[in-house]
Amino acid sequence: MASAEPDTPDSPATYAASADKTNRVGRDPATPFRVSDLIDDRPNEGIFRVNRAIYRDRDLFDLEIEHVFERGWVFVGLSSQAEKPSDYFTAFIGRVPILVSRGSDGTLRCFVNVCPHKGVRLVRNVAGSSSRFVCPYHSWTFDSTGRNCSIKWKSSGCYSPAFDADDHNLCRVAQFGEYRGFLFASLSLDVPTLDDFLGEARKLIDLAVDKSPEGLELVPGRVRYTYAANWKMQLENCADAYHFTSTHPSYIKLLNRRAAEEAGDVVTATLGAADFWQEGAGGASGGSMSFEHGHVLNWGVMPVTSAHPDFERAEELAVKFGIAKRNWMFNMRNLTIFPNLQLAENASTQLRVIRPLAANLTEMQTWCIAPRGESGEARTMRIRQYEDFFNPTGMATPDDTVCYEEAQSGMAEQERPWLQGHARGSEVSVVGGNPFSEMIDLAPSYSVLSDSQLGDESLFRSYYRAWAERMTGALNG
Amino acid sequence: MDSLSAQEAAQFLYREAALLDERDFDGWLELFTPDCVFWMPAWRDDGTQTEDPDQELSLIYYQGRRNLEDRVRRIRSGLSVASAMLPRVCHLLGNVTIEQHEGRAQKVRSAFNINLQDVRTGRTHTYFGHYVHLLQAEGGNWRIARKVIYLLNDVIPTALDVYAI
Repeated sequence: MASAEPDTPDSPATYAASADKTNRVGRDPATPFRVSDLIDDRPNEGIFRVNRAIYRDRDLFDLEIEHVFERGWVFVGLSSQAEKPSDYFTAFIGRVPILVSRGSDGTLRCFVNVCPHKGVRLVRNVAGSSSRFVCPYHSWTFDSTGRNCSIKWKSSGCYSPAFDADDHNLCRVAQFGEYRGFLFASLSLDVPTLDDFLGEARKLIDLAVDKSPEGLELVPGRVRYTYAANWKMQLENCADAYHFTSTHPSYIKLLNRRAAEEAGDVVTATLGAADFWQEGAGGASGGSMSFEHGHVLNWGVMPVTSAHPDFERAEELAVKFGIAKRNWMFNMRNLTIFPNLQLAENASTQLRVIRPLAANLTEMQTWCIAPRGESGEARTMRIRQYEDFFNPTGMATPDDTVCYEEAQSGMAEQERPWLQGHARGSEVSVVGGNPFSEMIDLAPSYSVLSDSQLGDESLFRSYYRAWAERMTGALNG
Repeated sequence: MDSLSAQEAAQFLYREAALLDERDFDGWLELFTPDCVFWMPAWRDDGTQTEDPDQELSLIYYQGRRNLEDRVRRIRSGLSVASAMLPRVCHLLGNVTIEQHEGRAQKVRSAFNINLQDVRTGRTHTYFGHYVHLLQAEGGNWRIARKVIYLLNDVIPTALDVYAI
């Protein structure tokens, strides 16, 4: 199998060793991978282990980009990114460029962003508004509903009748759907309905959307960064309750100092008012929930205080939705919709899209999400907290991404291929929910209720089971 | 102390760059007024940069030197893995022009090109763009009342901190 892997940004010397083809575990190069060589899932024996090869191997990466990303539902954007007729935005499904266009008829459609003539990428802009898309190469032209409205010099082209019988419109992506402004698409027809795919996780999307009667919006300003490690490192980190006090002590010290000073010019921090991560906190302070199709939630109790940008609506939301749902809106919630969407509501509110570029290179697209119609003061507070914590130019995310890269370096290790990082919480993971999920009528497949030091890792299993499910056909049993 | 020549402005900016390259963060912080603005806008989807830091996202926005002091404290804390092996950084500045007075302050525009050796990974990176400094006379010295960093290559490889912009 050919590997056309882009190098890491600039000189990739440090990471070249991890791609050494002669150094592959558990498989004859001539035969496909076996799932059981990669994921050791024996629930009855209390064993769940992941092989390092799953983060490192280039051939496996080619298979997963095809099967996990290009043959199943993935998140592509928010409907508000193309709000008015003729608005559009571009994105990728796996390696395939796509175009989401709101037609002059007001309907959103999702196309492969490629001219059928010579395969040229049709729209290069990230977003814009246009009633016509003209291919830069030979001027084939399409309208906002994807219809081909001009093949240049068609009548002089001496085309055969067979060409005339062909479809010259833009190619529609096989499946495209919306849930409350969140747009998902699949290049394969053979997927569950979007409602089935999202399942109970829809109620967690509701918690973000229902904060405003007008829904949520992306704050202008998209922040992009890359890190030189596998995409699954980001998938896991968002759900990782175990790392916070180890990876972010410099940020925690800052929270404590700011809390002590209460100076007017200091950036306030939502996390400073919470104790789910504090080592001394007792009792149930959070936990995890896992859902069908690989969606997981890592959550913690956060008090309803003025350190939270949604505080101005606290009363209104309690009246409208009841205290339980309102309190859940204020809780720390890191939600992953497998495989590429993360909604992180902790230090502020973030939407992340994970885009794998190579086994050892990932691009992150990140936005601050906010309830529409919030006050200017709340918006400013949300933005300040966001920048400090989430940006690659901030004071928390860099400590995560550097750890991903160091982990990628360690994935080359072969003597002991099985990681020990998916084991915490094994003995307390239960089928179904708990009193906290019942408060909002949420029915997870598995849940863990934890104190501040449990640091559940059993929720990661849902990622790898969903991964294995999507890889069926690419891997042997 | 009423006005700066382009040459004096350039000397001031070179000194700021040298303090960062030499990791003299205390000296660097002293260049800023207590209520300074330190701002690096983000990019909108339409290819323009964000202009209203209170309603749009920035890569970095601080009002008050106090917040820059927090950044320096974190870098030195020994508690941040991303700051544990500081990259080697070289700022190159040019195209320094004096724009206009804003009250008692002087607006200075320049171009920057920053090369960075990440000693942890062995990778090199380049950052480039424009600075707009607002310099203000204070106690016989010029101080930075406002620094805006218009970063043109905004896909950030892993991380970017105040010493490398």
